[in-house]
Amino acid sequence: MTDVSLAQQRSVGFFGALAPGGARILFIFAAIGVCLIFAFPVFWLLLTSLRPASEVFNVQSGSTITIENFFEVLEQPVVLKALFNSFLIATLATILSLGVTATSGYMLSRFRGAIPNTWFSLIYVFRCVPYVSWVLPLYFVTINLGIFDTYWGLLLPHVAVHICFFSWIMKGFFDGIDPSMEYAAMIDGCSRWGAFIRVALPAALPGITALALLCWLYTWNEFLFALILTAHEVPILTVVMAQFVHEMGMEWHLMSATAIIALAPALLITIFGQKYVVQGLRI
Amino acid sequence: MTGVVLKNVQKKYGNVTAVLDFNLEIKDREFVVFVGPSGCGKSTTLRMIAGLEEITGGTISIAGRVVNDLQPKDRDIAMVFQNYALYQHMSVRDNLAFGLRNRRVPTATIDEAIARAARILSIEPLLDRRPRQLSGGQQQRVALGRCIVRNPKVFLFDEPLSNLDAQLRAQMRLEIKELRHRVPTTSIFVTHDQVEAMTLGDRIVVMKDGVMQQVGTPLELYRTPANRFVASFIGSPAMNFVDMAVASEGDNFKLSGEGLTFKLPNQRFPKLGNSVGKHVRVGVRPQHLRLGAPSGDGQVGVTGKLMVTEQLGDEQILVVRVGGQDIRVADVDPELDFSTGAEIETFAAIENLHLFEQSGSEASLLRVA
Ligand SMILES: Nc1ncnc2c1ncn2[C@@H]1O[C@H](COP(=O)(O)OP(=O)(O)O)[C@@H](O)[C@H]1O
Ligand SMILES: [Mg+2]
Repeated sequence: MTDVSLAQQRSVGFFGALAPGGARILFIFAAIGVCLIFAFPVFWLLLTSLRPASEVFNVQSGSTITIENFFEVLEQPVVLKALFNSFLIATLATILSLGVTATSGYMLSRFRGAIPNTWFSLIYVFRCVPYVSWVLPLYFVTINLGIFDTYWGLLLPHVAVHICFFSWIMKGFFDGIDPSMEYAAMIDGCSRWGAFIRVALPAALPGITALALLCWLYTWNEFLFALILTAHEVPILTVVMAQFVHEMGMEWHLMSATAIIALAPALLITIFGQKYVVQGLRI
Repeated sequence: MTGVVLKNVQKKYGNVTAVLDFNLEIKDREFVVFVGPSGCGKSTTLRMIAGLEEITGGTISIAGRVVNDLQPKDRDIAMVFQNYALYQHMSVRDNLAFGLRNRRVPTATIDEAIARAARILSIEPLLDRRPRQLSGGQQQRVALGRCIVRNPKVFLFDEPLSNLDAQLRAQMRLEIKELRHRVPTTSIFVTHDQVEAMTLGDRIVVMKDGVMQQVGTPLELYRTPANRFVASFIGSPAMNFVDMAVASEGDNFKLSGEGLTFKLPNQRFPKLGNSVGKHVRVGVRPQHLRLGAPSGDGQVGVTGKLMVTEQLGDEQILVVRVGGQDIRVADVDPELDFSTGAEIETFAAIENLHLFEQSGSEASLLRVA
């Protein structure tokens, strides 16, 4: 029954539902306009990356198109290393954060008592701290622990921040899952832990997938932590990109090429992961 | 052999007592229903039997073995939940197989068990679907199937029909009843619906505020309710109650209430002697009131003004105001015409009267004990 009504709703179309009749055209144009506004900087970036160094300030009028910038960038070992590091950090941070927050969110959703309550309050307090004010203390902490400018020195702060934010989101996912499914599993031969792994976790998978994609993108794009918590040992792509702006001038063409390279995986994930993100975050 | 035995079972949440001193022996293959208003501790009791809830006090044994410290998975039980609780990410077939695979049952045996359960419940065409693609009734049938394939010692049902619409509920009630004959297994069925309780149970346990009120067959509960709560909970429309003062008058007790007076012979109501000078509640079921004047000693009359008639087609129900109170008269010929405000004369046989203490536990005054 719900299926039928949904189908009817859908057949009206998004714009039709929003503004029936002639106003629909207006909305379509408005939507296209908004998309163009957002797409324009990316388009300009792409254009810049394809121009020789001498022509970056008249990108629109010149006629020389070159992919030389990309070769030049990719010949720099630091860029290659940064690509690898960014990928590694984003991937590891995603795996670690989600591993921890899946269990922590589940605990917050299903259990009451001293431990979950304390954990909940801790996360709540940390969530209220502005993101920027984390950086400086973390800098000193990593220095003191001797992990400054190492993988761990960037990975652990990322994971720590993610845990505070994602535990809540995960709790929400599990709140949306009927606990009697787990009770049924426990009666069907699972332990408490088994019921979580084999029934609750798969049921939350669409949400977790969406969260994983967003987490990866977020870490991949993150700049502030990477800037403060790393130096030469662990170059990170976003930081390396910014370093094309230096005392000797600004290498806009190289920066743009690097940016386009950085954009590619993010774009791929966005395009192919969109389905999961929409599915997972729809409650 | 016994099915399930509960001895002095108790459940406390902090200092809230959810279940108090619950004692019950359920025989092998017996179908017992726990009934009571919402919040009375039915589910809590059931979940303690399942092992999903810690037992605060007392012991529970299943098939002669104390299970207090056993995990749910080791108790050899199966449970149907109100909201079906099917594994959403698995096909119906995998839902049915899940418990057996966990117990390392050979695949051939699993397939056989699934085929049999699917046949019994007519869900063969649904086996490859996901739970989301099924209607409520179909989902509940799959949930029943998940129990049957396991062939457990006890079936537990926690309000399995409450989420279905009225028509489907009546149909599933019949199916569960039929299932009992095909798969005879000790069963405990929780519901807040007295009709479900009456139609399904071999025995019914009536609960209120965590305390068991009465245990008995449906007919016992209907005919000899132990207290006013059971009397008003079982039967529909609910029993009528009138507050009456008791006086002794020769060989009779004279009962008088607002707009109503009658005599009851001493020897038929021995326990009423203690209530002389006090008030009691007199109950009579709407079905036991007949139109007309009482004739002879065995009957008492109730007369009042007609307020409303409820026409149900096969009967009509009259609401009659006696003194300050409304009394229902059921099973009235639907063809009869009444005008509102008319005087209605009814009578009841004294063996159909129920007498309850006016205070305390409102226990029945008919049981000689
Ligand atoms: N987890 C819990 N914590 C505290 N009180 C609870 C909990 N579960 C149930 N209760 C209380 O125990 C009583 C019985 O609940 P329950 O067995 O669910 O009633 P029902 O008869 O409707 O199934 C209710 O008063 C309820 O508020
Ligand atoms: Mg309940």
